[in-house]
Amino acid sequence: MKLALRGLRLPLPRFMLEADVELQGRVAGLFGPSGAGKTSLLELIAGLRRPTAGTIRLEDRTLADVAARRFVPPERRRIGYVPQDGALFPHFSVRKNLLYGVKNGGGAERLAEIAAVLEIEPLLDRGIAGLSGGERQRVALGRALLASPALLLLDEPFAGVDHPLRGRILPVLARIRDELRVPMLYVSHEPEEILALCDEALRLDQGRIVAHGAPAEILAEPPVSP
Amino acid sequence: MKRILLPLFLLGLGFTLLAPSAVAVELNVSAAASLTDAIQDIAHDYEATSTDKILLNLAASSLLSRQIEEGAPADLFLSADEEKMDSLQKQRLILVDTRQSVLGNTLVIVVPIESRLKISGPADLESPLIRAIALAEPQTVPAGIYAKEYLKKFGMWSKVIDRVVPTENVRTALSAVESGNVDLGIVYKTDAEISKNVRVAYSVPLDVGPKISYPFAVVAASKHLAEARKFFAYLTSKPALDVFRRYGFLVLTGSGATP
Amino acid sequence: MTGDETRILGFTLGMAALAMVAILPPGLALAWLLARRSFPGKAVIETLVALPLVMPPVATGLFLLRMFGRRSALGRFVHDRLDLDVIFTWRGVLLAMAVMSLPLFVRSARVAFEEVPLRLEQIARTLGAGPAKTFVTITLPLAARGLTAGLLLAFARALGEFGATIVVAGNIPGRTQTLALAIYQLIQLGRDDAALRFCLAAAVLAFVALFISERLLRRRST
Repeated sequence: MKLALRGLRLPLPRFMLEADVELQGRVAGLFGPSGAGKTSLLELIAGLRRPTAGTIRLEDRTLADVAARRFVPPERRRIGYVPQDGALFPHFSVRKNLLYGVKNGGGAERLAEIAAVLEIEPLLDRGIAGLSGGERQRVALGRALLASPALLLLDEPFAGVDHPLRGRILPVLARIRDELRVPMLYVSHEPEEILALCDEALRLDQGRIVAHGAPAEILAEPPVSP
Repeated sequence: MKRILLPLFLLGLGFTLLAPSAVAVELNVSAAASLTDAIQDIAHDYEATSTDKILLNLAASSLLSRQIEEGAPADLFLSADEEKMDSLQKQRLILVDTRQSVLGNTLVIVVPIESRLKISGPADLESPLIRAIALAEPQTVPAGIYAKEYLKKFGMWSKVIDRVVPTENVRTALSAVESGNVDLGIVYKTDAEISKNVRVAYSVPLDVGPKISYPFAVVAASKHLAEARKFFAYLTSKPALDVFRRYGFLVLTGSGATP
Repeated sequence: MTGDETRILGFTLGMAALAMVAILPPGLALAWLLARRSFPGKAVIETLVALPLVMPPVATGLFLLRMFGRRSALGRFVHDRLDLDVIFTWRGVLLAMAVMSLPLFVRSARVAFEEVPLRLEQIARTLGAGPAKTFVTITLPLAARGLTAGLLLAFARALGEFGATIVVAGNIPGRTQTLALAIYQLIQLGRDDAALRFCLAAAVLAFVALFISERLLRRRST
């Protein structure tokens, strides 16, 4: 992936979110204390919020350029977003959730492929009410993947999932990276996940990117703020 | 939701469309609410002899005149109030040559049917037995204005004013008496006659009571002036006046005016 | 019930239903704007929409009478160009019912829209759905229960509309006389038995509409 954030600014209630960085890796990790502005940064990239200054470029596309008054709406960015709670559509079955972002029918083959990778085939015809936390997250991940995103934003997707289960999900994410080749920006509290999955990492604190580099280096640094 | 609404909608539409449509002219007649019973009978009789259809708009004279002022498509105005007609005339909204005070009414003092009160004149209203007196609102509603005028004439208004219960219109005053919530009420004779639950304790004699008259006129903006005049002529003909008389109105004009 | 009474009931139900059809598009648009957007003058629009709820209905009626009377520019235009009369016709009934019930619908619909998690709409957008598709496939179905409840509430209000109707449409038996107007007239005429029959019909209709409305709202919150 090549995601370039230049002079990006967004005022938040407690501080100004600022980003000036270029990400190159297949999977980039975003690390930082809660309240650092991680979710807001993802929302800027997804197009759910408008920056007050700066540009966002993904590969060779300009997604936002405040100076040039350019703003690509989220539905035309091809950026998948998996929030913490999964945010499944409660009035659809698992299958309809998965197929929501698939254009014009199609997608049956890819549905089978992705359902296999995520191990959710048995769930397809169920409603979402009875799903466990881990199942919800995998369905949400599958739904984002089926829309063929150019970039996948994962906002602590497994924060609510028990530890043993998380161990099983990490390999799934690795397969998405290696087999489906979808670039990811991955927010996590867990250093071992970042180490296992990411090629590069950012540390965000009080709305500023305070470090950027190889995951091992970033995680070794002591936090800037308590 | 759709499944319920659609049939209802079609039902309503059907009723609207199926309403008689083969008639030559529809006349909008705005008539004071106190004329309701009589004018409904008269309209019914008229429709039997004419191809024109009479649409009655029945409400307080003040509202009816207001609607005409705003250009509502009324063809005739049958008012219970000369003042409202004066105001329309001043604005040239009625045909002056058609204006006629056709009907009269008198005031009566009514008491609940079971009441033993005896009233022989306005002076009796001072009796300590009478705690509440129902009248139509005495500032704006004709029946109330007349009642106040009458009491003033006999110097009673200031003496009973604390016991007066003003009501929205004369029929509400009548209901208040019917239910026994007030000791007596001052209403039109025509109203008293329709109720079985009140007794007329005193009829105000014609020569001492206020002059109560119902002016009728054709509305100037009417699009069916010929038909409107025709119905107006019928309203002042003997068959129509007989109906009014049957409902207790005094006839002030036309053939066979009440002496 | 006599034929006339059934006809009045049918007319009232039909007009109220038609009023609901009429307020649905502007009501949904207004409610959505108030729930999801902030714009200059929002507070003013909010207040204006709520106004018929708290103003004396007769005052709203007078306002509409002035607006659509042949003496106003709008009334003349509607009459001369479109050859339509609003005053003293079923259109006046429709207008009065629609204006008086719109605020109730907008208020409930606004709450219904506000209760749809913004997150779900955002996710739909990132999955390639534009604002229109998001509204139709996500917002509308998730708000449907609250919207239906609001519509029933407005329907019940329209059924009982009196003050604005008598001013705008007149009380014309067989033409513009609705249930509420008929009840008023029957009381005036001292025909309490017929008035009570109508009151009963009105109470049953309103009860059914409100009962369903309440149930829909209750189920949504559990």
